[in-house]
Amino acid sequence: MNEWQVAATILIAALAPCGWVCMRRSFAEGVVALQLAGTLASLALLLLAEGEGRQPFADLALVLAALSFAGTLVFLRFLERQR
Amino acid sequence: MSARDAFVYALLGVGTGAEVLACLGVVAMRDAFDRLHYVAPSTLGAILIAAAVWVRSGPSFISVKAALLAAFLLIASPALAHGTARASRISAKGDWRRQRGEGIEVEEP
Repeated sequence: MNEWQVAATILIAALAPCGWVCMRRSFAEGVVALQLAGTLASLALLLLAEGEGRQPFADLALVLAALSFAGTLVFLRFLERQR
Repeated sequence: MSARDAFVYALLGVGTGAEVLACLGVVAMRDAFDRLHYVAPSTLGAILIAAAVWVRSGPSFISVKAALLAAFLLIASPALAHGTARASRISAKGDWRRQRGEGIEVEEP
């Protein structure tokens, strides 16, 4: 296991607390945790691409970051309508 | 271990540490507005991790993609933080603008 894979493992493990906030706290707090989870997952994919020496895997990180941004915007729209 | 390796380890370690700090902050804080403050270190972590990839691989496709990812997060993260704060306030108060009775009251001398 090289240093990139170790760092990716730490970031993937850090997704669990974000999931806990999403499940146990309010909708607004869950959206904040989702925002952080998107960043963590994108960086974990980038680190795995570097660790495995497979450059095309880094495309997944870019696509996930863009889709995570769009997905969070949709959740924000729902949050605005929730009273 | 060369100086370049040490620099890569340092960038990677500090970047990953910033992400873990952001995660702990998001878990430990009390409400959505407090938690939002801790999303910012994740952008710093992304920049440091992209720098680590750049130092290790030099100018290459993966380095360009890492830089693009960091640049995207640098732009998107503050926009999302603003949008989340705005949506939370609209959800709680009905409007994002200052409500009657809010703010600092200044007494006339």
